[in-house]
Amino acid sequence: MEKIFALITAIALCSALSTAVLAHHSFAMFDQAIKVEFTGVVGEVQWTNPHVWIMVDVPQDDGTAIRWGVEFTSKVHLTRRGFSPDLFSLGDKVTFSVSPYADGSPGGRFFWAQLDNGTYYCDGGARSVCEEKN
Amino acid sequence: MKFLSLLHKKLSVTFIALIVISLTAIITTSVQAQDGTVYPANAAEVSYAELDSLPDFRGLWFPAFRQVGGDEPVLIGEALAKWEVYAARMAIDPNFEVPETTNNCEPDGMPYIMNFPYSVEFLFTPGKITVIQEALMQVRRIFTDGRPIPARDELDPNYFGYSRGHWEGNTLVVTTIGTQPGQRLGRPGITNSDQLTITERIYLDEENPDQLHLDWTFEDPKVLAQPWNMTHTFRRDRTWEQLEYICSQNDRHLLDSDGQTLPPEEIRN
Repeated sequence: MEKIFALITAIALCSALSTAVLAHHSFAMFDQAIKVEFTGVVGEVQWTNPHVWIMVDVPQDDGTAIRWGVEFTSKVHLTRRGFSPDLFSLGDKVTFSVSPYADGSPGGRFFWAQLDNGTYYCDGGARSVCEEKN
Repeated sequence: MKFLSLLHKKLSVTFIALIVISLTAIITTSVQAQDGTVYPANAAEVSYAELDSLPDFRGLWFPAFRQVGGDEPVLIGEALAKWEVYAARMAIDPNFEVPETTNNCEPDGMPYIMNFPYSVEFLFTPGKITVIQEALMQVRRIFTDGRPIPARDELDPNYFGYSRGHWEGNTLVVTTIGTQPGQRLGRPGITNSDQLTITERIYLDEENPDQLHLDWTFEDPKVLAQPWNMTHTFRRDRTWEQLEYICSQNDRHLLDSDGQTLPPEEIRN
């Protein structure tokens, strides 16, 4: 019983902590255990609250493209971390790593991005990636 | 005769108009729930000198999530049953999201306004402290001018409730009632009833004035078997001002009937 309670408390705590970055909804819709990488062309930049979004068109073998949505935290948090609205521009080629949507929708929560010039930008949880690569 | 009839009609119209005006006045008065009293916080005579003796709460305060303490809540009744359902679902489904009003861009209200993962700012004016939460730009007012706290049944329950505060030395002690039922109480999955009383003790750390302590006591006889104490710590930042945060600017998520956040429609499978 104690173990169950500890587990429940741990889950509750995780849940509470998980609000720390996204805030207006939890991380539950993302599969945090997995990271997916993809390269595409920036098709839309939404520098907004409650979340910043970059829509990326990922080319397919048949010549078409699938639009992926990358969800960042709020522009408030990103501004404080040194991101700026002109970091991603329409037409830029960018590689992203995300925690994908659990339901398989093309998109996910931002983990890191590598710009075409090789520079990495990272979410708080991916700080070590940026420290290693940049 | 015709003249008398016309006069009668005119008087009737005037009479009805008077009734309508009187009713409107009564309704307006009750909605505003004001008795015309001017409390010291808004009085014509004002002295700012009292502010000099108060501790320096200026700057932005960011919650330190790894420094949350306190005891475990002892839930009862419907609150316990609801918590058990959520806990069971979380245990089997890591993607289960506890339904909360904030998932839909609604303000958090009290008490979550205080430790939402953005900054809070305190504004001191004579007889009143205004707290601004950066996220969703929420505002609450704490009256420190000695005005009475209304009876619970006189309040129209709302997001932030009615807060009355006073200073005990350098500690701000605040009592809040009148928050609307169903808001997050302490952690996701626990919500308050209409009987919640929140007591806050807010004070600077004695050794580190750039640390602020917020101690909560929740008393809710419909939710908790005993008072629940929580402690929070904040760190001060003097370099930033609060930034604009309008949640409805670009809230691309919808919730399903189970309160779960869906990916945006344009990319949803």
